[in-house]
Amino acid sequence: MTGMVETGVLGAKVEEKLFQNRYLVDAGRPHIKVRPHDTPSKALRSLTYTCPAGCYSLNDKGQVEITVDGCFECGTCRVLTAKTGEIEWEYPRGGYGVLFKFG
Amino acid sequence: MHIVVCMKQVPDSAQIRVHPVTNTIMRQGVPTISNPYDLFALEEAMRWRDRFGGEVTVLTMGPPMAEDSLRKALTFGADRAVLLTDRFFAGSDTLATSFALAGALAKIEQEFGKPLMIFTGKQTIDGDTAQVGPGIAKRLGLNQLTYVARIVDLAPEEGHITVERRAEGGVQVLSTRLPVLITMLEGVNEIRRGSLDDAFRAARAKIVTWNAADAGITDLTKCGLRGSPTIVKKVFAPPPRAEKAYQVATTDLSMEALAETVMDEIFKRQTSLEGDLMRFSAG
Amino acid sequence: MDDTSYVGMHYRSEDFNEERPNRYTIIRAQFDKWFSRKVRDAGVVLLCETTVKELLRDTHGKVIGVKTDRDGGTALADVVILGEGVNGLVGQRSGLRSELKPDSVALAVKEMHFLPREVIESRFNLKGNEGVVIEAMGTITAGMTGTGFLYTNQESISVGIGCIVSDFAENGTTPYGLLEAFKNHPSIKPLLANSECKEYAAHLIPEGGYKSIPELFGDGWIVVGDAGQFVNAVHREGSNLAMTTGRIAGETVVWLKRRREELSKANLAEYKRRLDETFVMKDLKKYRKIPEFLHSNKHVFGLYPRLVSAAAQTWFRVDGADKLTKEKEILRSFRKGRSLPGLIGDAFKLARSWR
Repeated sequence: MTGMVETGVLGAKVEEKLFQNRYLVDAGRPHIKVRPHDTPSKALRSLTYTCPAGCYSLNDKGQVEITVDGCFECGTCRVLTAKTGEIEWEYPRGGYGVLFKFG
Repeated sequence: MHIVVCMKQVPDSAQIRVHPVTNTIMRQGVPTISNPYDLFALEEAMRWRDRFGGEVTVLTMGPPMAEDSLRKALTFGADRAVLLTDRFFAGSDTLATSFALAGALAKIEQEFGKPLMIFTGKQTIDGDTAQVGPGIAKRLGLNQLTYVARIVDLAPEEGHITVERRAEGGVQVLSTRLPVLITMLEGVNEIRRGSLDDAFRAARAKIVTWNAADAGITDLTKCGLRGSPTIVKKVFAPPPRAEKAYQVATTDLSMEALAETVMDEIFKRQTSLEGDLMRFSAG
Repeated sequence: MDDTSYVGMHYRSEDFNEERPNRYTIIRAQFDKWFSRKVRDAGVVLLCETTVKELLRDTHGKVIGVKTDRDGGTALADVVILGEGVNGLVGQRSGLRSELKPDSVALAVKEMHFLPREVIESRFNLKGNEGVVIEAMGTITAGMTGTGFLYTNQESISVGIGCIVSDFAENGTTPYGLLEAFKNHPSIKPLLANSECKEYAAHLIPEGGYKSIPELFGDGWIVVGDAGQFVNAVHREGSNLAMTTGRIAGETVVWLKRRREELSKANLAEYKRRLDETFVMKDLKKYRKIPEFLHSNKHVFGLYPRLVSAAAQTWFRVDGADKLTKEKEILRSFRKGRSLPGLIGDAFKLARSWR
């Protein structure tokens, strides 16, 4: 199956998937923050591919950044970095964030 | 001071998609929300209530499930909610809607006191007509201030109000006597987040629910489909425009040069435009 | 499943068309709306769009309410029933339980694909209110512990895939890439043809089972649902466990209040006692060793499905080879994939965990 994933047919664009969804973005109040760091741990770096909404990316200094707008509040990133403590994770203020149409 | 805000529950139009093959509008699974423009009206109303004291009543006409957006308005901090719901109102266009709302507003005056100001959003995102607010004002014989960007001054005791109104080509400063109907522009404030007390009050609140008879609306020929001269002939997605976007290449990035280049391009493609503009600016 | 084939077991039964069906697929957003109306009608005060931040305790440590994210945001209560879902931040941060472990929680991604009801009925051979659930395992999870799933709703199909979180981190595959691959598998793709996707969602599923169940009650508090790890990973059940735990928590509190008893830790132990008598605890206890088994025996998700699929192909292919040779070839392929002691050992361990 890894073979299939690499073929590129399936290089799914997560942005296109997120476009189907409904969010109420709490502008200026990101509910998840990556703590300042020089070099990300393996766990933190893994968020660039484990996050189902593709919220995490590497900047040109090799640090991990987050844009929370597409977040599902699933908790994967918090669970993976619980040991290293590299992110701060809260739920958005009530009413904001992902609004599941179907769930 | 009693203020009424007319709100509407609408489909979240951002969620409406056009079927790629049949080109029809797909409404299934589209959630309903409070008309976003109405929230600016609600916030403005609550600010003036907070300043002078009094009450904000929210009023909506719609099916029973429109109660959701009223309860939400209470959570934001409104004091009272009135739902006008009756099968006789089904299929109302803007004329019939303003008739029914005007009737309910008269009843609200009787029951809860005369409103000095009635607010609506500048328009709804589903109909986009901006007709209901003015329609209500006309029927109730109120002064109307539309597309209001800012209330500059309000003197409830003296009974007058001064606002800034966005108009083509600039801002108008208008003063008039209360009571008044105001339609609020978007982006002029930010809806507050109610306190926990507000949330509890909203959750426990009994929504005042009126049918046509309760609201004292007797002329049912002016309600719903029967009272609606508007005929929707067809709902369709506009065809994609034939004209394509062009890329204009230029090396000089100064603002004047960019403007020149773009204008040249436009005049080249719209041959009559330059002459028209010349005549217009000369005349 | 392997990359090109699937070996399946089907079960359809007219017996399931009962007056009160025993399983449903529901669309949560719609169900929640309906359900909240029901509880409101029953006299419940329902606060929405308000996030609980922490538990309030008195000087003795008894829970006496919650603090929310709204202004003036404390609400007092005789008892707090924590139904806060898999992440369970409130309980965690109040020291009721520890953080989830990456190897005992799965990340599932899911899409909602819409099709007209008639198309779904004819595509899946359905009538009335029947539905279909497909669970799939094999190379679709790229060697990770997890399953793919597809189920029909009246006008839509839910399709998704989930794997253990630590596996995702080690494997390097994106969840959405995995989902696309699953959707494009030759046995799934035609089922979704011409559908329109209207939502993409992700959620964690607690898969630790019986051994991960945290403290379930204390002075002034009870835990229900995902926050209490009430998921039967083997049978893919969760909602029914959540509903049952919630019901029993409610009944326990009502029972205690009617008797005018304090909602103390000693008295709330009644919740656990009642729960132990239900299928919830009995099933979780029965399968208590399964999560470990699946996690340390990845052959179940990669090698075995591949072997079974290959065996089926050898068995069904008409190519002139005699049947005895075919049988030997199948056996050989199994032995090659996994040593005989390994095969026997896996079977033995599975049987033990299942008991």
